[in-house]
Amino acid sequence: MTVNRRALAVLAAGALVLTGCAKGGAGGSAPGQASQSPSVAMPTQAGESKQAKVKAGTPQDSQGPAIEVPGSKKGGTVRVIASSDFSHLDPGQIYVSNNAQASELINRGLMGYKQLRNGDVLVVGDLSADTGTTTDGGKTWTFKLKDGVKWEDGEPVTSEDVKWSFERLYDPIINQGPTYVQQWLVDGDYRKTYPGAYSGKRLDTIETPDAKTVVFNLKSAHPDFNMALAMSGYGIVPKKHTMDKSKQKDYDKKPVASGPYRVVSHIGDKSMDLERNPHWDPATDPIRNAYPDKWRFEFGVTAQQSTDRLIADSGDDQTTISINGLGSERIPEVVADGELMKRSISGYTPFTDYWVINTSRVKNPKVREALIKAWPIEAIHKLSGGDAGWGHRASTMMSPTVPGFRKFDVWGQLDNPEGDIEAAKKLLAESGEPNPTIVYAYGSTPLPGKVALLVQEALTKAGFKYVGKKIDSGTWYDSVGQLDNGFDVFRSGWAADWADGSTVMAPLFDGRLIAEGSTNYSQFNDPAVNSAIDEANKLTDPEARGEAWSKIDEQVIKQAAVIPGFYLTYLDLRGSKVWAEMDNWWGSTNLKTAFVAE
Amino acid sequence: MPRDLPYRSAFVIRFLIRRLISAAVIVTVVTAVVFQLFYALPRDPARAFCGRLCLPENLAILRHQMGMDLPVWQQFLVWIQGIFAGRDIPDIGRCEAPCFGYSFAKGEFIRETIVDRLPVTVSLTAGAIIIILTVGVGAGMLAAARRGTWLDSVATSTSNVGGAMQIFFVGPLLVYVLSDTLGILPRPTYTDITASPGKWFVGLLIPWLALSIIFYANYTRLTRSMLLEQLGEDYVRTARAKGLSRRASFFRFAWRGAMIPIVTQVGIDLGVLLTGAVITESTFGFHGLGELTVQAFVNTDLPMLLGVTVIGAGAIVLANLVVDALYAVIDPRVRLA
Repeated sequence: MTVNRRALAVLAAGALVLTGCAKGGAGGSAPGQASQSPSVAMPTQAGESKQAKVKAGTPQDSQGPAIEVPGSKKGGTVRVIASSDFSHLDPGQIYVSNNAQASELINRGLMGYKQLRNGDVLVVGDLSADTGTTTDGGKTWTFKLKDGVKWEDGEPVTSEDVKWSFERLYDPIINQGPTYVQQWLVDGDYRKTYPGAYSGKRLDTIETPDAKTVVFNLKSAHPDFNMALAMSGYGIVPKKHTMDKSKQKDYDKKPVASGPYRVVSHIGDKSMDLERNPHWDPATDPIRNAYPDKWRFEFGVTAQQSTDRLIADSGDDQTTISINGLGSERIPEVVADGELMKRSISGYTPFTDYWVINTSRVKNPKVREALIKAWPIEAIHKLSGGDAGWGHRASTMMSPTVPGFRKFDVWGQLDNPEGDIEAAKKLLAESGEPNPTIVYAYGSTPLPGKVALLVQEALTKAGFKYVGKKIDSGTWYDSVGQLDNGFDVFRSGWAADWADGSTVMAPLFDGRLIAEGSTNYSQFNDPAVNSAIDEANKLTDPEARGEAWSKIDEQVIKQAAVIPGFYLTYLDLRGSKVWAEMDNWWGSTNLKTAFVAE
Repeated sequence: MPRDLPYRSAFVIRFLIRRLISAAVIVTVVTAVVFQLFYALPRDPARAFCGRLCLPENLAILRHQMGMDLPVWQQFLVWIQGIFAGRDIPDIGRCEAPCFGYSFAKGEFIRETIVDRLPVTVSLTAGAIIIILTVGVGAGMLAAARRGTWLDSVATSTSNVGGAMQIFFVGPLLVYVLSDTLGILPRPTYTDITASPGKWFVGLLIPWLALSIIFYANYTRLTRSMLLEQLGEDYVRTARAKGLSRRASFFRFAWRGAMIPIVTQVGIDLGVLLTGAVITESTFGFHGLGELTVQAFVNTDLPMLLGVTVIGAGAIVLANLVVDALYAVIDPRVRLA
């Protein structure tokens, strides 16, 4: 999941804001109950106990209703302001997190994310009665649908709907969502093997022995298959309402609901109104509290405008929440104001930002180590607004929200964030290349330019010959994804696709995936790491898997394939008459538990 | 008394026909140039909507749907045909006339989107121009009538301050003072006039006020100077010498003579307000044609950008046509031009 709107916003703004103010800041709190509120506190330091843990739930955890939020009330209209419309609501087309957040109010999948009151997150059965069963190490998976799950027209959700939903993903009209499961169900290139649901052909690797049972016969073992199904892109659609392929664009704006709300109107880039789906039964849903009667989404409100409106807190804005993240220009004002911070929503996002070292160009490990040692991480941290701006200083690739996350600091970046120029010089002397040339690529928005100046200063002091290359931020990933991009070091960001380290370490560091446009930007290819990835993928025990992926993380960091940057954080405000907390999986404002307080 | 009405009417009609033909030519030329420019850009609009997992066959289908498999001149003719007769868009359906095309970014016919957004921009512009004219012209008339008094000084100096400001400064400042601090007015919101005229009016007051502060200065200065000039003209002094009252000479002679440049300025400012809606709507978070233009640009939504540009150009040409017609009413010499 490379799309990182929050980071882009911070990078684009490039505002010089104060640092350190957010440390120990108040967490969000329910109106009128500041001290007892079920808040997720502002993260203080990476690796400490504030970040959420994500793991698989038990069958009991999959049963509804959702856990009550203390002090919650039913009814009213919650208003949401966002800078842009949700580009897709058809589950098959959903990959980016803001679409997924809205989709959760309308669509349901076999699996989903359930947030506990302590902030931890469980992966549980959503339409499925449990988290699925496998008897052969993850090759064959069986899911049973819950009783009482229905579409907004009152028809029951059936196993045929599930099979159809997955078959539909193979059609070329579905061109934005995730592709993992499609590939796991067939041999060879999934686009060429099976033409999709609209061809009239069926996919024989999905069986529906009865109206409530679905069996997936994967081509190889995937013990994390059930976790992958929690992606919003694998939400279920009603066969009856999606058989007309020419209506897909309409469906993408106004899907048929299985969740607590149905779309009443959706005017592109302007507004969306939701009201209760009368056929949604809370007893079947362990994830969604669905307190408000209605939702009113307003699009086209920039982060700065939403922040200003929520600071002013007048009229309808008192029952408004934002999913923009705080306008970076307003961060110092908000974090310094105790009253405003009582209305804040804050926590970690699943993203880690880092600097790629292109190992196909910087081949000497000592030179790579010298880069890390010289890197002015604290200066960049301060420049970008500190913890509440870009995020917390990182020392690993897996973010604290990924199961198995373990804090280690191979290069002493946390202990010595200012960088160690003398150590870098020493390493360069040992490398046999005392003055290597480093081509540093940076984006065309203001902050990357300022960061580049800090990098230039630090690298030059250490003895590197610095060459800066400014490239268009709009085509950033197209440029850096080229194998022969000509860059030695550049920034990137990544988040897990589901609660498993495989979706971080494999796409970023599996050397066998190196290709034009691939996400292994470091072009890192170590047979030992490739082999460790294969071994980790075979593990079925979640804890063992987490441990294995964390070890691979450390293995990669030790080989200096990247310079760890920041665990991204989220900070936003809510109106005084609405309660909203952090969604610890999506790293943004939680829509599932919000309620109008007065 | 000569019966000159048929004679004058014939001139007015011929004058308007000439202007209408030239307006149609201007809109057609603008459309052709814009069309050519957009399609000459080094961007592939079809690729922009083909998705993350774009396959060559999908791209070919999209290019066909967008008509991009035709030569540009043919695409233009199809586009023009759509405006007058409608057209079929492959796999999407019938786009009825006037058809401006289909937005693949929004999944909507462009006409529907424009119809949805137009009232916002028209409300902003129309309300603002009424206030601007009332306040600006009124202050200018007062300053001219009371030349050299404190009223003249106040009207002239405040207009200078207003004219030096920008909407992105005045707008948030008014919101902060009038809404957030004093609580006199609600924060700007747009409510459909048919849903609630009261909410529509109150929600637009701050944007109107902000635009008026910026624009009224021109009218104050212009009205004052033109009136003073006209009041000094021989024909006005002759009228006064023949016993016409000061009030009558002011309104019947001087005022009529001063109107031509004011009407010209209104024509120019209507264009500025319409094109400036990009900034005004962004400042207040309104969803009008200006915001739509920005979104279309960001999303590489060329069909939408084309539709909005042509509508904007048409509106400006129409405004100037009205101004031309007013010239003919105000000044008989114009009809002979």
